[in-house]
Amino acid sequence: MNFVINFSIAQWRAWAPGLESVDDWQAWSRQPVVLPASDAAPDVSFLPAMQRRRLSRLARMAFSVGWPLAEGRPDLPLVFISRHGETPRTFEILKDLAADQPLSPTQFSLSVHNAVIGLWSIMRGETSEMTALAATGDGLEHGVLEAAALLNEGSPAVLLVITEEQPPQVYAPWVDDVPFPYAMGLLLTPGDDWRLDLCAQAGQWPGSDWPHALDLLRTLLNDETTCQHAWKNRVWTWQRNR
Amino acid sequence: MSDLHRDIKQLIIDALGLEDIGIDDIGDDQTLFGEGLGLDSVDALELGLAIQKKYGIKIDADAKDTRNHFSNVASLAAFVSAKQEA
Repeated sequence: MNFVINFSIAQWRAWAPGLESVDDWQAWSRQPVVLPASDAAPDVSFLPAMQRRRLSRLARMAFSVGWPLAEGRPDLPLVFISRHGETPRTFEILKDLAADQPLSPTQFSLSVHNAVIGLWSIMRGETSEMTALAATGDGLEHGVLEAAALLNEGSPAVLLVITEEQPPQVYAPWVDDVPFPYAMGLLLTPGDDWRLDLCAQAGQWPGSDWPHALDLLRTLLNDETTCQHAWKNRVWTWQRNR
Repeated sequence: MSDLHRDIKQLIIDALGLEDIGIDDIGDDQTLFGEGLGLDSVDALELGLAIQKKYGIKIDADAKDTRNHFSNVASLAAFVSAKQEA
């Protein structure tokens, strides 16, 4: 089965430790490297202190890339994507459970996958449709598919945020696709600047050294016209039309 | 400010992640929830847990005077003292 969707990318934002400006990302895109381990978190001082105090780094990353894109756009649907989610919070909760300790209500309530969009809704007074996705290796494409459906229903724009937190060390044997924490936000609008199509594919496909969202960012920054991503039996092709 | 008042204020700041507040910013009789300091229901649960852990006391969430004990730092200190003596 083949399918094709069209859309435009009006704006983007991205964050990783030490990579904040377009220039930072441009330099990284030309010569991508694994970033040194860091506890750095993005600045979210645009939020009142009482609101931002509970935000994990994952939430801060999502807010820092999403907030500027949502500025001046009320009624903006949001598609939030993260494969692994709030692993540091989950791990803290599991440690308490293992030690027979009571669980922190804050950690518990904010560990669920839709916590970030809940906070987003509260802090922005935003009541548009929001979705939290956890797909495996091609969550970005599934998120774009969701966004395209919302655009097709008449939304003038859809905000897509994809982010991954560095999981605690204990998960290292199972999680090999987060070389460093990162977040990317895309403001998607109706249009045909970009085309995404899906083809079925049998057999092996070469993997990438970088999270797919960052490969797409390199495509955007280096003015390349195509970006391909394969996961299981699915091959996604991003094609820039103009 | 007694040591207990001071300790409870520090506990509130640490347990609830109040980034920009020091113990001198919280009055003994200042309302903690809703008005005053502006804490919410998740904070109430988190603070209850922190108090139980630190002072080794049991709090009955359903008891009808529990809400009163959590009005302010002074009432919390009186509650903790009474529980510890009991």
